[in-house]
Amino acid sequence: MICWSCERAPGAGIACSHCGAILPPNAKADFFAVLGVEPRYDLDLADLEGRYRDLSRKLHPDRFAMADPRARRASLQRSVQLNEAWRTLKDPFRRAEYLLSLAGVSLTGEVPAPLLMETLELREELADARAAGDDRKVQAMAAAMRARVAAAMREVAAGLAAGDHSRVAAELVALRYYRRFMDEVAVHDDAQETTAGAKAAAAETRGP
Amino acid sequence: MAVEALFEIAEPGQSRVKEACKGRAVGIDLGTTNSLVAAVQAGQPVSLRDPATDEVIVPSVVHYAGGGLVIVGAEARDRLAPIHPRDTIASVKRFMGRGPGDAEATRRLTPYAFAPAAAGDPMVRFSVAGGTRAVTPIEVSAEILRVLRARAEEALGGELAGAVITVPAYFDDGQRQATRDAGRLAGLEVLRLINEPTAAALAYGLDKQAEGTFAVFDLGGGTFDVSILKLEGGVFEVKSTGGDSALGGDDFDRAIAGHILSVLGLPQDAGGDARLARRVLDAARAIKERLTDSARAEETVELPGGGSRTVALTREEMEALVGPVLDRCAAPVRRALKDAGLDAASLSGVILVGGATRMPLVRRFVEHLFGRTPLSDIDPDQVVALGAAVQADILAGEGTRDDVLLLDVVPLSLGLETMGGVVEKLVPRNSTIPCGATQTFTTYADKQTGFDVHVVQGEREMVAECRSLARFKLTGIPPMPAGMARLEVTFLVDADGLLRVTAREETTGKEAAIQVKPSYGLTDEEVERMLLDSFVHAEEDVKARLLTEQRVEAERIAAAARAAMADSPDLLSDVDRDGIGAALSDLDRLKVGSDHGAIRAAIERLDAASKDFAARRMNRALDSGLRGRGVAEVEAKVAETEPRSDLASRVSGEGHAGHPHSGHGHR
Repeated sequence: MICWSCERAPGAGIACSHCGAILPPNAKADFFAVLGVEPRYDLDLADLEGRYRDLSRKLHPDRFAMADPRARRASLQRSVQLNEAWRTLKDPFRRAEYLLSLAGVSLTGEVPAPLLMETLELREELADARAAGDDRKVQAMAAAMRARVAAAMREVAAGLAAGDHSRVAAELVALRYYRRFMDEVAVHDDAQETTAGAKAAAAETRGP
Repeated sequence: MAVEALFEIAEPGQSRVKEACKGRAVGIDLGTTNSLVAAVQAGQPVSLRDPATDEVIVPSVVHYAGGGLVIVGAEARDRLAPIHPRDTIASVKRFMGRGPGDAEATRRLTPYAFAPAAAGDPMVRFSVAGGTRAVTPIEVSAEILRVLRARAEEALGGELAGAVITVPAYFDDGQRQATRDAGRLAGLEVLRLINEPTAAALAYGLDKQAEGTFAVFDLGGGTFDVSILKLEGGVFEVKSTGGDSALGGDDFDRAIAGHILSVLGLPQDAGGDARLARRVLDAARAIKERLTDSARAEETVELPGGGSRTVALTREEMEALVGPVLDRCAAPVRRALKDAGLDAASLSGVILVGGATRMPLVRRFVEHLFGRTPLSDIDPDQVVALGAAVQADILAGEGTRDDVLLLDVVPLSLGLETMGGVVEKLVPRNSTIPCGATQTFTTYADKQTGFDVHVVQGEREMVAECRSLARFKLTGIPPMPAGMARLEVTFLVDADGLLRVTAREETTGKEAAIQVKPSYGLTDEEVERMLLDSFVHAEEDVKARLLTEQRVEAERIAAAARAAMADSPDLLSDVDRDGIGAALSDLDRLKVGSDHGAIRAAIERLDAASKDFAARRMNRALDSGLRGRGVAEVEAKVAETEPRSDLASRVSGEGHAGHPHSGHGHR
């Protein structure tokens, strides 16, 4: 590779080691490398956020608004990559999933039938509660699921610490289903807020 | 990995700013009710004033007269809107990026006429200039931007390097595209679209050296936004945003107007009478604004059948009317806090933005909602433009604030329609921009040779409940069994918050990619054509402008003469009465014609006929208690109801805020 600006070998940094021009990112770089940390589960999030902020300051398209189109393209690509890296690593579940993918462990294998059955039933129960407008039931189910998510995340942390990838993989597969359940709770909560808004709107048209 | 595919579609345009224009970058707050332009001068953001009137604000009101003439600002709002409500568009921002169907929803009480929608036309069109012209909200907004651009070029002494235009944080992609297109149409280099609450936070944060997590509560004329931001080490990171792009002071006015109509025993839609609708809405706005400082306010409304009625409201009554509208702000606030993972108690402060936050009711509401007294020490009408000016300065490379950075988010999730009308979200709301995502889809039928790609925005699960942004078709895929083709769809949201979508079929080795054409924006060709049209019309515009000026003048002077006659009938001789009466009817007849010279002559005849009468009124005014004050003051007092004879200086001296389509502006 040569630098687009000075046409010399630019080195492996963000900017060319000769002329300082911003370089396009390596699309294959892992997210830990993007943020400049060791690939591990147990990260100092405050430190990570500080790195994200400092890198954003250097890489953001606003810094290159008047620059050469090639510099602007590199800045956009680097910023997209940085934001994706930060979004992935700041979330413990996504971070664990990402660590396993780096280790070459696939999560697309067989889903245990009991897990599938149970989560399907839970989601049906949730859908029924939603259809019945039973917000209290929805919230109770959500609280129970949050507890399960927390327990599973503790297992994930322990499994990663012990290097037991298959145990972590099993928990992450289950967590995907739990998270889908929680996504549906979030949609429910959004709808509740919207309904509250619609009621206020209806009150408006009725007048005082 | 998502990022790899994104790299292939990231293609920023050419570097845009000419060396010669450097240092002339502005921030523009294109508001529902008012607009303004600001720039950083000597290191500080300042709003740019109209040199003639010293006003900062340009009312976002655009009048379309016949023949392509356009008048923008206070003149359009105060003098033309009451007489020509259909041809005078206020609150155009509420129609930006909206289709004819959407307009129905916001049409409850408006004085406008909408042009019949052509099949497949995604945009609302206002029927203006006496029904001779149909204009899109983009064109109307561009007129406002042209005025601001002219003001900035005059103040800063030359062509602009570019502009940062603010948009409500909760604007969807269609509304953002429309805003950027309005900027292009006005001949502006749009450096960036930024969110209004973020701009306000930037102005506050830099001015007050604030650090911590803040909520910005931005209630403007037509839109409501709430953003939660973390300010640390010069980085303004938006954590979450929420709002309602059709909720604002206009809705308060409508609630009050509904009450006024009931009191007057008139139908809630004003019986389709555009002038009445305009008068009642104006009366509602006047009452609302006065009740900020007074406990009681009243307005006199002219009735359609002649005569007038005075309607009075106390602040409590007004608050009972608008309270239910204001309550709609609560849900977006709660949702934004939840999305940021915060509760109100953990905030460092709440910043008020937007004219509607002057209302005592709104301040109490915010205080109650957040459990703390909000900050409002920067003028809520100017703070957004000031923040935008700072960002423009940074982007134009002139700023010394290299440490400052805005990190904003996508306000509403972006996704695709999948089987059964279900939305597959690719970019969740509150993702930091720029960002992207890639997802692979497959065929569901044997020998399927095309994919319909339908891009939507919103939080609901079903496509029908989300905003449709664009549709396109990827064709030419060789027939394969179901499930074999692999369609890779990539979303890229750039630093303006604008979405680009590409799709590619992978398995065949043959690539097909397509760029989404926005449903609600303008294509490059359309912008080109509209700019060319404006050159063609430039000469007609001058004539039309003269005509409208004379018509406006005729209306004003005739009204003043009638008022003076009603005010001092005892000073009128029979000769005056006949002469003025004849000149008035002459003027009434000629002002509807299209000969501006004839109108001008009739105005001069009226002036001459009323000269003696005017002199007697002047003498009386001098005799009755005004004696001893400066003559200029007396003249000013008399002139309020008096036809004046200095026509030439008046026309040039008043400095109309609007200007016709002019020959420059095409780059």
